[in-house]
Amino acid sequence: MTTASTPADVARAEEARATDGAPRTGSSLGYLRHAAGKLGGALVSLFAVLVTSFFLFRIIPGDPVKAMTHGIPTSAEQLATLRRQFGLDLPLWQQFVDYCAKALGGDLGTSFQFRAPVGELIAEKLPATLLLTGVAVVIYSALGLWLGTRSAWRHGGLGDRLNTGIALTLWSVPSFWLGLLLIIVFSVGMGPIPGLFPTGGMESGTGETGFAHVLDVAHHLVLPVVTLVAVGYAQTLLVMRSSLLDEMGGDYLTTARAKGLRDDDVRRRHAVPNALLPTVTMIFINLGHVAAGSILVETVFSWPGLGGLFYQALSVPDLPLVQGLFVVFAGAMILMNLIADLLYPLLDPRVGR
Amino acid sequence: MTSTEPTAPSGTTASSGTTPATESSPATAPGKKKPPPATASTPATKSSLTWARRRSTVARFWASYRTRRAGLLGLAGLALIALLALTAPWTVGADVQSVTQAPGTALEPPSAEFPLGTDQFGRSLLGLLIWGARISLLVGLLAAVLSVAIGTLVGIIAGHYGGWFSTVVMRITDWFLVMPTLVLAIVLATVMSRSMWTVVLAIGVTSWPTTARLVRAQTIAVESRPYIERATALGGGHGHVMGRHVLPNVMPLVLAQTTLGISTAILTEATLAFLGLGDPTVVSWGGMLQDARDAGAVSSGHWWYLAPPGIAIALVALAFTLCGRAVESVLNPKLGVSR
Amino acid sequence: MVMVTKAPPRSASAAHRALRLLLAAGVTAVSLVAVPGTAAAEDDKSAGNTLTVAVSQSIDSLSPFLAQKLTSTSIHRLAYEYLTNYDAKDARTIPGLATAWTPSADKLTWTYTIRENSTWSDGKPATAEDAAWTFNKMMTDPNAATANGSFTANFAQVTAPDAKTLVIRLKKPQATMTALDVPIVPKHVWEKVGDFSKFNNDKQFPIVGNGPFVITDFKVDQYIKLKPNKTFWRGAPKFDELVFKYYKDGDAAVAALQKGEVSFVPNLTPAQAAALGTQKNIKVNDAPGRRFYALATNPGAKAQDGKAFGNGHKALLDPEVRKALFLAVDRTTLVDKVFQGHAVEGEGYIPPRFGSYFWKPETGQKRTYDPAEAAKVLDAAGYRKNADGKRVGKDGRPLDFRILCHATDPNDKAVGKYLQEWWGELGVGLKVECLDSVSDPWVKGDYDLAFDGWSVNPDPDYVLSIHTCGTLPETPKDSGATDNFICDRQFDGLYAQQAVEYDAAKRADLVKRMQSRLYDTGYMNIMAYPNALEAYRTDQIKSITTMPEAGGNLWGQDGYWSWWSAVPAASASEGESSGSSTNIWLILGPAAIVLVAVGVWTARRRRSTADDRE
Repeated sequence: MTTASTPADVARAEEARATDGAPRTGSSLGYLRHAAGKLGGALVSLFAVLVTSFFLFRIIPGDPVKAMTHGIPTSAEQLATLRRQFGLDLPLWQQFVDYCAKALGGDLGTSFQFRAPVGELIAEKLPATLLLTGVAVVIYSALGLWLGTRSAWRHGGLGDRLNTGIALTLWSVPSFWLGLLLIIVFSVGMGPIPGLFPTGGMESGTGETGFAHVLDVAHHLVLPVVTLVAVGYAQTLLVMRSSLLDEMGGDYLTTARAKGLRDDDVRRRHAVPNALLPTVTMIFINLGHVAAGSILVETVFSWPGLGGLFYQALSVPDLPLVQGLFVVFAGAMILMNLIADLLYPLLDPRVGR
Repeated sequence: MTSTEPTAPSGTTASSGTTPATESSPATAPGKKKPPPATASTPATKSSLTWARRRSTVARFWASYRTRRAGLLGLAGLALIALLALTAPWTVGADVQSVTQAPGTALEPPSAEFPLGTDQFGRSLLGLLIWGARISLLVGLLAAVLSVAIGTLVGIIAGHYGGWFSTVVMRITDWFLVMPTLVLAIVLATVMSRSMWTVVLAIGVTSWPTTARLVRAQTIAVESRPYIERATALGGGHGHVMGRHVLPNVMPLVLAQTTLGISTAILTEATLAFLGLGDPTVVSWGGMLQDARDAGAVSSGHWWYLAPPGIAIALVALAFTLCGRAVESVLNPKLGVSR
Repeated sequence: MVMVTKAPPRSASAAHRALRLLLAAGVTAVSLVAVPGTAAAEDDKSAGNTLTVAVSQSIDSLSPFLAQKLTSTSIHRLAYEYLTNYDAKDARTIPGLATAWTPSADKLTWTYTIRENSTWSDGKPATAEDAAWTFNKMMTDPNAATANGSFTANFAQVTAPDAKTLVIRLKKPQATMTALDVPIVPKHVWEKVGDFSKFNNDKQFPIVGNGPFVITDFKVDQYIKLKPNKTFWRGAPKFDELVFKYYKDGDAAVAALQKGEVSFVPNLTPAQAAALGTQKNIKVNDAPGRRFYALATNPGAKAQDGKAFGNGHKALLDPEVRKALFLAVDRTTLVDKVFQGHAVEGEGYIPPRFGSYFWKPETGQKRTYDPAEAAKVLDAAGYRKNADGKRVGKDGRPLDFRILCHATDPNDKAVGKYLQEWWGELGVGLKVECLDSVSDPWVKGDYDLAFDGWSVNPDPDYVLSIHTCGTLPETPKDSGATDNFICDRQFDGLYAQQAVEYDAAKRADLVKRMQSRLYDTGYMNIMAYPNALEAYRTDQIKSITTMPEAGGNLWGQDGYWSWWSAVPAASASEGESSGSSTNIWLILGPAAIVLVAVGVWTARRRRSTADDRE
């Protein structure tokens, strides 16, 4: 059974099960067709995002030029100059055509408030966001996989219940709140606990170079990463746990055991790899989410990434910048979904190649 | 991040990767829930029979749910919080949110008179916390209901009509799925005026696609059963099939989705309020956190202002998640092991 | 469902390897963050005397021709000399790049003498030629006029007959000729710039300037670094480095101050000020502000062509309604509760800090808080309560107002709550509409009431001018300098009189009469004058000049006095001794966590293998 591409890990997990029963038609040709289809779909989605972002942000009420000059004595000529600089004097359809033409060439326009190319602004902030979210995703995926495996293998036991309970509780905590608490306790210091970590930012800016600089950045990374990991790892844990539980019901495990394999081997060799599939897929989808998802943590920890930029752009409203960021956020999700889609058949041991 | 990010559909998160209905296994869908043979043989019989059957279904559901400890815990927690919220007009009274009649002075630490201290206007934080539960729960409930309602409608229609129509609708749904939901909700909340309804709408219209997908799959599963064919042959129109046969069958799924959705919605409400996108004149948990931050409670060491609303949000979200997971595992016996 | 036997061993081990890789990456990341304490400890010492200022507002541009935000213009004040400056004591005009200035009799030609001892940081002298080039660029290139074009809009010609003489000819007299807040840039650097609308001046460091500091480094939303200009004509600043560091969250900035990561934090909340006030080595500066905080009522927005626009509530056109509303505002409570005492109760339009212009209403004129009187006024004006307790006008329209509030300003939201309750008692409804950017409904006239506030300059001309008819937009489509669409003939007449009055006392009297008139109209109701709340570390800054010198503020001064004058504390090492004990913790803490984690893991591992064997 073929299903439309979906980012929901559930659907994908189901898809995996669906392929069980289906005859193995997989071949390199089939894979190429699958890949081409997914690629086409992603391109269509990307184009749809470009179009929507243009119109979506035109509904934000407000004349950006008047908003920017509010409270600053500005002559009518100056207003006209600003409008001309921003291309706001053109009719809407012409703005749209310009926007599309430029966007296809990779030019996302010029920010109103920073007067710099949007692409450049985003490129400037992207590494910070990638660093924060990348480290967080790696850690919470590893943590989730590990704990999920333990939990499933000993399901129903005290350890499992504790494990799932703690994960679910942390998952229910608002991340910005956790971040603020961590600042109070570990950054300002509370009672006997001294302020161990910086209160915000990405580097202390005292001119370290080389390895010292790396360490400095890592030092600043600790609290935001801990926040993201704490609220994020439950997802990986739960998916890993339930996939593994599904696998453990499989006949082949009994067979493997009957063959005299030790439980540990059965787990490591057979169950875990199969259960990894939906989990790894989900991790990729998470990667797509994190860019947009770290808005709050970036705000709380003054992290110089895309999240802060987005919030700032929205309040002006700095249309080209908001549009550009939206395209980047949505684009990240489309890209990660595509990777997950393309990777899936390659990873799935049941799909022959 | 999940907690603050409605994009990660809680349904998928907490459902442990398995859901009651799947597109891929239409024939094996919730067979246990409602014995098809009985329904199939008598599509339109006396209502008493229908009611008896529904009663027994509910009884069976409860019997199964009762064995799930986490689910019971969540349910008990919810009952307690709901009781507190519903009786708030008598226990704390609407006056608790009045700034002009505030009983205390600004930012008092916890004391016998104010067990959780006071806010910057001298209002009792315990009173505000209880009063705030009303708005937080209401917004969470309304937003989840709105989201699930949209999802169910889209899902049933897409599943029922099929063909190119379904393809187009599902393409749109897929496309919504890749939208960064929090970003979209922030944009919507920024555009519209600050009010509770704005928040409900912003959450509702951005978080429905997961439900739509699941409901569509379930709809297809239900409609592939023979009795539907018979009902159509007997002259049942589209409305009849969707309303009388499909809807009752997707209701359990919808229930599970709503329960899980509320927990996400409450977190999103808190997030939006924290970003200053809520109604500042209404007391909600997220709004209290925003007020605490406005007052500079974090750096002044007023932890008693900051901690309780966050804990309250986490507890309610957790309770709804536990209930939702329990409901799901009842509906999908395969998950029985996970309790 | 039939389970197909799955998991060929080959791909299984591949997937397992992937898992191991993930775990390994995680562990590496953890160990990375576990060590950094040592690095931070060593680097603290090499910094020398650094003055670090916490800022939250982003830099819009480092080009003086584009920058409009307060942070950017404050930094330009430090990096470039302007023609004139304001005295730290009383804000009168004093020499800057110009040492003297003389207007012609008709006030249309101004001649400035440029100082000879100012040099650019690349060694070239700063001359009248640079100033003339700067102004001419702004006059001829609209892109260069983006930020400060209003100063040069009225210029007819600017010339530099010699290196120390600058002559500006005007089209008509201009009041701001001794307050031309325009950074003068070096011609030899800037004449190479092509498109002024795109050049942000942030690619090449250090940036050539002639102010007390030189901009040496900039990272968007992370920091801006400046080094003292050793050849600055007024004397070099005492600190070795000035850093503006970004904290998007106010609490994070205060926490950084407590830890000594920054030396100065502006814009504190009352709670933060109270908490910091009790701490060692921190001084809280609670200075009378230069702002007023007002309740503006929409007087029925109109353009100069007479066309009305916007959707302001008609009942507010009735002076009795405006009077009654303000009678029901308890300013004392607002100062006590919202500002926690860090404000002065509102009276006239100009804050008491500017003593010569400050005005307060006479007893008979004053609208003292009196809700009963407010109810009487409304009853008399024909707005009676209906069965629901709501007041209804003669047209049957209830008195339900909207108030525009800045979502980013906690005070607006707090005062909104009080107004809602006070006016609710009166039978008047109020909807608090908070927006990130209130500009749009504001310029369209789509509001009933609004929270309003302006920083007042030593010369009140500008803040008075924005309530004259001449500043209304020409047509509803245009944008005007007007603040609240006020157009009052009596006010305008007084404004015109004070503009040509050269006798200080007489002018002050006229300005007070203007404030009295404004008070009576009820369009601008001043609720409070908020204080400037800021704090700095006394173990890092020994002394610093406020403006005005007696009890003034530090952040957002008209000149560069605060940072130029700051003297580093001798015992700057004191902070580090406490820092080193922190650093021990930094190493021990994460190490302990890692140890515990490893221990738990091994224990569980052993137990699990044991379980497997059973």
